[in-house]
Amino acid sequence: MNSSPVLSVKNLGVEVGTGAGARPVLSDVSFDLAPREIVGIIGASGSGKTVLARALVNWIDPPLRISSGSVEYKSQNILDLAGGRMRLLRREIAYVGANPMGALDPTLPVGRQIVEKLSAVVPGIDPSEARKRVIDLLGAVRIPSPRLRFDEYPSQFSGGMMQRALIVDALISNPAFLVADNVTQPLDVTVAAQVLRLMRELTERFDTAVVFVSSSLPTVKEAADQVLVLSEGRIVERNTPQRLIDAPQHPYTLQLISQIPKIWTSEAVAVPRTPNAARPTISIRDATRTYLVRKRGTFAAHSEVRAVRNVTFDVMPGENFGVVGESGCGKSTLMRLLSRLEFPDSGSVICDGQDLSKLRGKMLLKFRRDFQLVLQDPFNSLPPRTSIGAILEDPLRVHGMRNAKEIRDRVLAVMAEVELPANLYDELPLGLSAGQRQRVNVARAMVLEPKVLIMDETLSSLDQTEQFRLLALFEKLQAQHGLTYVFISHDLAMVRRVCNRVAVMYLGEVVEIADNERLFFDPGHPYTKALLSAVPTLEERRYKPEDCLLEGEPPSPIDLPPGCSFASRCPHAFDRCHAESPTLTVRNHGESAACFLVERQGARAAA
Amino acid sequence: MFIISFLVRRLAQGALIIFLVTLLIFTLLRVVPGDPVRLMAGGMAPEALIEQIAKEMGLRDPVLVQFGRYMSGVVRGDLGQSFVRPASGASTGGSSFGDATRGERADVLTLIGETLPMTLQLAFLAIVFAMLFSFLVGIPAGLSPGRWPDKVAFYVSSIFISLPGFWLGIVLALLLSVKLGWLPAIGYKGFAYTILPAIVLAVELSPVLIRTLTGSISSAMMMPFIAVGRVRGLSQRRIIFAHALRNASVPLLNLLGIQISGLLGGVLVIEFIFDYPGLGLLTINAVLQRDFPLIQGIAIVTSAIFVLINIAVDLIATLIDPRLEY
Repeated sequence: MNSSPVLSVKNLGVEVGTGAGARPVLSDVSFDLAPREIVGIIGASGSGKTVLARALVNWIDPPLRISSGSVEYKSQNILDLAGGRMRLLRREIAYVGANPMGALDPTLPVGRQIVEKLSAVVPGIDPSEARKRVIDLLGAVRIPSPRLRFDEYPSQFSGGMMQRALIVDALISNPAFLVADNVTQPLDVTVAAQVLRLMRELTERFDTAVVFVSSSLPTVKEAADQVLVLSEGRIVERNTPQRLIDAPQHPYTLQLISQIPKIWTSEAVAVPRTPNAARPTISIRDATRTYLVRKRGTFAAHSEVRAVRNVTFDVMPGENFGVVGESGCGKSTLMRLLSRLEFPDSGSVICDGQDLSKLRGKMLLKFRRDFQLVLQDPFNSLPPRTSIGAILEDPLRVHGMRNAKEIRDRVLAVMAEVELPANLYDELPLGLSAGQRQRVNVARAMVLEPKVLIMDETLSSLDQTEQFRLLALFEKLQAQHGLTYVFISHDLAMVRRVCNRVAVMYLGEVVEIADNERLFFDPGHPYTKALLSAVPTLEERRYKPEDCLLEGEPPSPIDLPPGCSFASRCPHAFDRCHAESPTLTVRNHGESAACFLVERQGARAAA
Repeated sequence: MFIISFLVRRLAQGALIIFLVTLLIFTLLRVVPGDPVRLMAGGMAPEALIEQIAKEMGLRDPVLVQFGRYMSGVVRGDLGQSFVRPASGASTGGSSFGDATRGERADVLTLIGETLPMTLQLAFLAIVFAMLFSFLVGIPAGLSPGRWPDKVAFYVSSIFISLPGFWLGIVLALLLSVKLGWLPAIGYKGFAYTILPAIVLAVELSPVLIRTLTGSISSAMMMPFIAVGRVRGLSQRRIIFAHALRNASVPLLNLLGIQISGLLGGVLVIEFIFDYPGLGLLTINAVLQRDFPLIQGIAIVTSAIFVLINIAVDLIATLIDPRLEY
């Protein structure tokens, strides 16, 4: 490209703190952004990429401080611009962040806030003209019924819809360049793929150059023309995405690439099939859970949120069973049913041959001992003012252990087992890393010597390296104690690595259950294919997103449409799908999918 | 539609609350020792006559029967008559016993109707003063936590909360009306008489308002959309007045609902000190004279005001922040 760059970053340095205690966050960052170019910036957490993204839009607040260099736009250093002049430049410099739900005032309608921004950066614009432009653009990012959505509040938008609205907010003033900081990170994979495609399309339409910051190399690869690799505040490598992946030069890049999970290649771990057993450890039979929510603006009317619908499956002893699905699919409600925090409205949950709803007294205590839960959030799941030893002692006391020395010995033994140093016994959880905190959570579950651990998104908040270590620990514990694991997760790559069998959930229903291999290589349900098409991976995709998923988001679990719940996004849907709901149809021994197409194939095979 | 269903639901709840309060006050007043008829008729009245009056007034019926009779009057807008006060003015009772005046005792509703507007005027002015002052001190404090405006706000509210209202009332009356002659203090002969008691009440109200405003503004300024708003190109003024204040106002409103209810108790002392002819003064006298119907009437009216204020506060809060659901 011959034209002069839109943006040119020269020797940019940012440090945190002042004087002698100052520590560099970014040093010596230089690059150019050509018109219509998309530059990707990749780095692990802590590499300084968010600080870089903010520096590009002159958003460096104390304790951060620009220590050197410049960010030049239209041959002026925007870092030197005073508030008022910078504010007018915001028309040409746009930013979209990683937290769509927090980006707008929750007390005002979304459309009005976009109009507010437009009239702030384009003073004197006619309000009705501004409103029209916003509605047009909301339509262009495929927000359904944009005219109505204009007057809705941020809390009425899903994360994906909100991110679309923020893209509108960024592009409404026709900016020269856009900084997108980890925009797809909080979104579900299928939605993230759509948002990404949309951004590429729109920036082409508006001739906008983009700086695309992300921690996921597969995402950057999809989006960018050029990739910069950021490590400890320095750019260590730059190349086109394909060349970067084929021939990485810097060891850090190599490490980044090696951590990306393998799904289909031969390097992927082979997970054995489930061992045969006479009686399942957990057997959930036709369970349904519905919540009532009061309808706003009515006297006593309620809406039904059908969180879990007719779920049936078995978990065998010694098995790693995965439950996957995107947000709102009923995973967490299912976890609450499995751990007897709630009872199903109909159907039953049977653990070790006992119906959970009938357990009382001693039997209930025994169930609690055998079935332990490990939670998702490493920060909120530990009491901050209790020492780690006391946290781990508590379950033992609840379950009747009295001898202080025995308790202490048992706790220390478990801490050793989960590889927590014994000197943490009297420490508060305050200074622990997320990984160590999750180990405390695992230890708290393991201290009672359970048979089953239910892992509700236990690994989601950890980075790849720490995930690897914990998974190795789980494997070791399973070998030693014959544990059964139920992994509830949205992360297909993790499930691929550890689970023997996997159930896929969509809008409260299990749409497919299959062995690991079969699910990833020959899925029976179109939704499973759509999920697979959107997994962030560098491998060549077995399933193309364009073929697997229609534009749009899952319908609301309130007032579900009749027929198959996936029909609205399914490229293969036909008349019958909109009229009746398919049930799980057996494809093979122990494998089934809820799709009419499977029935057809079955019929054809039988003929 | 939302507002109608909200109001219907909340007003129905409110009616129930007022009913329960009335029942409670009614029973408690009848259980406490002290015979109001003895007070009305005077210490010298013969025992037989007291019994006769009490029977005539229905005071010897079971409490529930009395309550039923009373409530049937209340729903028709009749809060009964004062035991003690004649329609003409000054209170009777005491040792003199004159049967002739008993027929013309004052209507409770009229007594309340005369004094309530005075108290509302005082309360309203106090809130206006308190809000003005709290906004002036609290907003700069919330915008610069830890710096001098924040410290000023902290010291001012610490001093204000430590000043007893009755003491401040006396001191201000001495200073502003006796020494300087700027404002009138005792009694009521025009609007100017409201200002001094309102200032005293405002001083009592403002510390909590300032602290809440400071805290909620500084936490609103920490919300991600404030920082993002700057990057989106909004001006600092718009961010503060259109977004930060809007989000900070919900906790303030909730507090105000409670404060106003507390204020109606606070006026008791202040009205007594300034001899301000409001509901507070009426209440004190009614209690001293064991004037059951009047106490009851005041209780019903004040609890109705509490309920209405809280409904209004919740309604405004939901209109500001649509996520709230009451």
